[in-house]
Amino acid sequence: MKLIKSIVRPNMVDNIKEALGKLNIAGMTVTEVRGHGRQKGHTAVYRGREYEVSLLPKMEIEVVVPDTAVDEAIKAIIGAARTGEIGDGRVFVMPVEQGYNIRTGEKDV
Amino acid sequence: MAWLAMGPAKGRDVDAAELRLRFSASLDRARRELVDATERGEGGRTALASHAECIDGIIRELVAQARLQTRTPLAVFAVGGYGRKSQFLYSDIDLLVVFGGAIGRPEERFVKALLHPLWDLRFQVGHHVREHADFHEPDTTNPEYLLALMDLRPLAGDRDLIDRLDGSMKASAPAWRPRILDALITLTDQRHSEFDDTLYQLEPDVKDGPGALRDVWATRLLLRLGGDRRGGVRGASPDRLRDAEEFLMRIRSGLHVDAGRNVNVLSYELQEKAVDRLRYGGPDMRRRVEALMTDYFKDARSVTRALGRVRRAAVPPAPTPIRLIGENLMWVVEGITFADAAKAAAAPAEWMRLFEASVSRNVRVADDALALIERELQKHAYEPEVFHPTADHRQRILQFMRPRPGLSARLSEMRDCGLLGAIFPELNEISCRVTRDFYHKYSVDEHTLLAVRNVERQLNNPRFGPILREIRNPELLVLALLYHDVGKAREGDHSIVGAEMAEGMIARLRLDEAARQTIDFLIRHHLKMSRIAFRRDTEEPEVVRQFASLFSTEEHLKLLLLLTLCDVGAVSPDTLTTWKEELLWRLYVDAYNQMTLGYGDDIINRDEALVAALQANRPQDIPEQEMAIFLEGLPRRYLILFSHDAIYRHVRLSRDIRPNEAHFFLENNAEVWELTVVSLDKPFLFSNICGVLAYFGMDILRGHALTSLAGLAVDVFQFADTDGFFARNSQGRKEFDRRLDDVVSGRTDVTSLLKSKEDSVLTRRSLVRRTPVVYFDTAHSQRYTVLELVADDAPGLLYRVSRVISDHGIDVDLVLISTEGQKAIDVFHITRGGAKLTEDDEASLKADLEGMLQGPAD
Repeated sequence: MKLIKSIVRPNMVDNIKEALGKLNIAGMTVTEVRGHGRQKGHTAVYRGREYEVSLLPKMEIEVVVPDTAVDEAIKAIIGAARTGEIGDGRVFVMPVEQGYNIRTGEKDV
Repeated sequence: MAWLAMGPAKGRDVDAAELRLRFSASLDRARRELVDATERGEGGRTALASHAECIDGIIRELVAQARLQTRTPLAVFAVGGYGRKSQFLYSDIDLLVVFGGAIGRPEERFVKALLHPLWDLRFQVGHHVREHADFHEPDTTNPEYLLALMDLRPLAGDRDLIDRLDGSMKASAPAWRPRILDALITLTDQRHSEFDDTLYQLEPDVKDGPGALRDVWATRLLLRLGGDRRGGVRGASPDRLRDAEEFLMRIRSGLHVDAGRNVNVLSYELQEKAVDRLRYGGPDMRRRVEALMTDYFKDARSVTRALGRVRRAAVPPAPTPIRLIGENLMWVVEGITFADAAKAAAAPAEWMRLFEASVSRNVRVADDALALIERELQKHAYEPEVFHPTADHRQRILQFMRPRPGLSARLSEMRDCGLLGAIFPELNEISCRVTRDFYHKYSVDEHTLLAVRNVERQLNNPRFGPILREIRNPELLVLALLYHDVGKAREGDHSIVGAEMAEGMIARLRLDEAARQTIDFLIRHHLKMSRIAFRRDTEEPEVVRQFASLFSTEEHLKLLLLLTLCDVGAVSPDTLTTWKEELLWRLYVDAYNQMTLGYGDDIINRDEALVAALQANRPQDIPEQEMAIFLEGLPRRYLILFSHDAIYRHVRLSRDIRPNEAHFFLENNAEVWELTVVSLDKPFLFSNICGVLAYFGMDILRGHALTSLAGLAVDVFQFADTDGFFARNSQGRKEFDRRLDDVVSGRTDVTSLLKSKEDSVLTRRSLVRRTPVVYFDTAHSQRYTVLELVADDAPGLLYRVSRVISDHGIDVDLVLISTEGQKAIDVFHITRGGAKLTEDDEASLKADLEGMLQGPAD
C-alpha cells in the first residue's frame, strides 16, 4: 500500500475526487493547508498599499491505495489538477506499513 | 445504632453466585420495564425512578453484606443523577461512601465488597470515599464533587452518621454556598461554551447542551442556593420546567435504547426513531422531525430562560441606582424595563424604544419587560405595521439594526419574546427550522442571529473591521442577513425565494429604491462569493472579471464580502477557518482592483445582452441609432452603474452638444444632491466642474466620470450641501447653473472664482491628518495609467487633486470618487497624449500631489 499525498489548488478537489472515483478509489482525507512551492506567494496591492501573500491557500488530499493502483491514481490526480500554470501543486508517494479498520478491527490487505 | 439498609438480615452469609443471579434477574426486569416504558414514549421521570429504585435495592443488599467487613459507622449515598433518581438505562451510578471514623484496611475491604459485585453487574460506578471529618470544610479543589454533594440521597448506613452528616452540612452551608455557586456557574459556562452558547443545535446533546437536562438541574440547584431569595423568580414556572424535563427525559431514554449505550446526542438518525416513539405522526418524515425538534427547541428555550432568570437572581449585578432613561423607560438592576407596565402594554409601537435603549447601553432587557411583551403578543394578533406606524418609527427600526455590540443579543431577546416575528413575520417561518446537511449545526433562525453576532465581531477584526466601518448603510447588511435564509422555509431556490419574501419587509418599512436593490442583491447572491472563492480558480483573471461584473458599486462588493464572512462563520464554530478567510479576502481584493483599476479597457460591446435590454426598453423619443452611438466606446461598467432611466436621460442630455457646452441635470434626493454633466471632453473639464462644486461649498461624496473613446464625457457627482447654499438661497439653483455654464464654456476662470470667495473652501482642511497614499498601477489596464489616491477628506480636495493632474498636461479619462468616513478614495484613469504615463511623469505627478496634500493650505 502507498499513501499518496497531493497538494493542489483549492478548486481542484472535486475534479480529483471524481477522477479517483472512476478508479474506484473512494476514501480520502482533505485538509485545508497553506504553503508555497516555487510560486513563493506574491504581493498584492489594496488601495495603494502592498500586502504580502507569502503562504497560498491549498488543499492537501491523502489517499491510501494498493501498490497496483498507484500509477493510475497519480496519473488521475495530475490529470485532474493540472492547469499548466505555476502553482498547480505537488504529489508525494509514501509507503504504508499497515492499515486497520477501526470499526471492525480488520487489517487492510 | 439504627441501620437503614433493607434486604437480608444483617450478617447472613449469602452465596455470592446466587446473589449475582438474583441481582441480574432483578436488574433485567427493571431494565425491560424501562425499555418498554421508553418504547411507549413514557421513559420519563416515573420510569427512571423505578429503575433507580431497583438499583437502590441491590445496593442496600450489597451494603448489608459488606457491612461485615468493618465496625466503623458508615453510610452510602446515591449522588448526581442517580441521587435524583434520574437513572437512565446506561447511565453511570455515582456513590458516596462516608465513614464515621478513620479509613483503614477494614473500610477498604468494605468498599471492595460493595463495588466488585456492582462491576460484575456491569455498572459504570463513580465513587467517592470520605471520612465524616472531611465535611467540616468544603473541598474546593474538585468542583464536580462539590456539586455532586447537592444531590445526596441516603441509601444505606447508620442513621446516626447520616443525621450527623446532615447536621454538619447544614452548619457549614453558609461557607459552602458561595463556593458551590461559583463552581456551578463556572462549570455551566464552560459547558455552554462547548456548544457555542446556543441551544439551537441541529443535533443537540440532550444531557449537557444548553437548555438540556443538566441545565434543568442547575436551575433547581440555583433556586435552592438562594436564586429565589428575593421573593420568587418572576416568570420561572416550576410546572414549565417540570414539563420540559419530562420531555427531555423521554428523549434521552429513547437515545439509550436506540444506541444500546450511554449516548446523549439526538443525531439525525436518532431523531427519526424518536418521532415514532413520541408519536409525531404524518406521512412526511421531514415534517415529523421538524415538529419534534420545534418542541425540543421550545422546551430547551424554557429551560435556558429559567436558568438565566435564577442565575441573575442568585448572582445579581452590582447595584445600579434606578434611573429614568426616557419616556416610560427605567434602568434597574435587572436591565432596562418599562416604568409603567400598563401604559407600555397599551403602546406596542413604543416597544422598540426598550430595545434601542438597551442596545445603546449594551445592557440586557429586564425579564419583566420581556414577559410583558410576550403576554401582550399572545393576547393580540398585531399586524406588523402596528410596531412602526410613522416614518419616525420606521427610521428607528432601521437605526436599531446598525451593527453594535449587543445587537444580536437584543435581537435574540426580541425573537424569544415574539417581537421579532411580530415585526418581521417572514422570520416566523424559519423559527426552529431544521435543515439537514453535512455542515449546518444550528436551526435556521439561530444561524441567522449568529450571523448578526458575527457582524458585531467583525467590528474589531483588523482586516474586515475597517471595511465594515466604511459601509454607509450597515443596517442594510443586518436586514439582509435576517432575511438571507428565510427562503429555506419554502420550496425552491432559497436565495430567490428569500429575496421575494424580503420584498414584504422592504415595502412595510418603506425603504427607498437603493436600499431595496441592496437588500435584494445581497439575499439573491448570498452564496455566490463563497462558491467562487472556495470552488473556482480565482487566480484566473476571467473568474475575477466575471465576479466583479456582478456589482454595480464597490459598496455592494464590500457588503457581500461581509455578509459571506458572517454567514459562513455562523454555520458552525469551525466552518470559517483562517484559510477560508484568506480566500475570501483575496477574491475581494482582486474584484475590488478589477472594479476600480481594471474596468477601463472593458468597452461596451453593442451585441451584449445589457445593450439589447436597453434597446428593447428604449423610449420612443430615442432612436436605436442614437442609443448605439451614445454607448460607443464607453466602459462596460457604465451599463452596470446606471439604471435604464438614467442612461436614457444621459442620451437626451448628449443631444446637440457642442464644444465648450455642458448639458446638465441637478436633482435632490433626501440630503444628497446629484449632478449629471454631459459634455465633450477637454482639458481641465473635470477639474473645473469640481471647482464649481467647491465654490458653492458642496461636499462631494461619490461620483463617476466616464469618457467615451469618441470624447463624450459623462460626469455624475453626488454631493451634500453642507453649507446649506440651496436651502438659504431661493435663486441658488439658477446661480449654480449659471456658474457651471460659465466655467465649462471658459467664460469664467474657476481659480479666480475660488480665490474671490472669502473663507474659501480651499483654506479649510480636515482635522484628521493621515499620510496620503498616492499609488500608480500600470498592470490592470493596457490603455491607462491608474492613479489611486487615499487621503483625508477635505472640502475642495477633488478640485485640488484634479487641478494638479491637469496642470501636468495629463488627461483625466475615467474617475471613481468615493468617501468613506473621513477618508477620500479616488481612482483616476489617466493618459498623456493618449498613452500611459512614463515613469518620469509618474514621479513628478506623485511629488506634486504629495506636496499639495501634505503642504500648508493655499
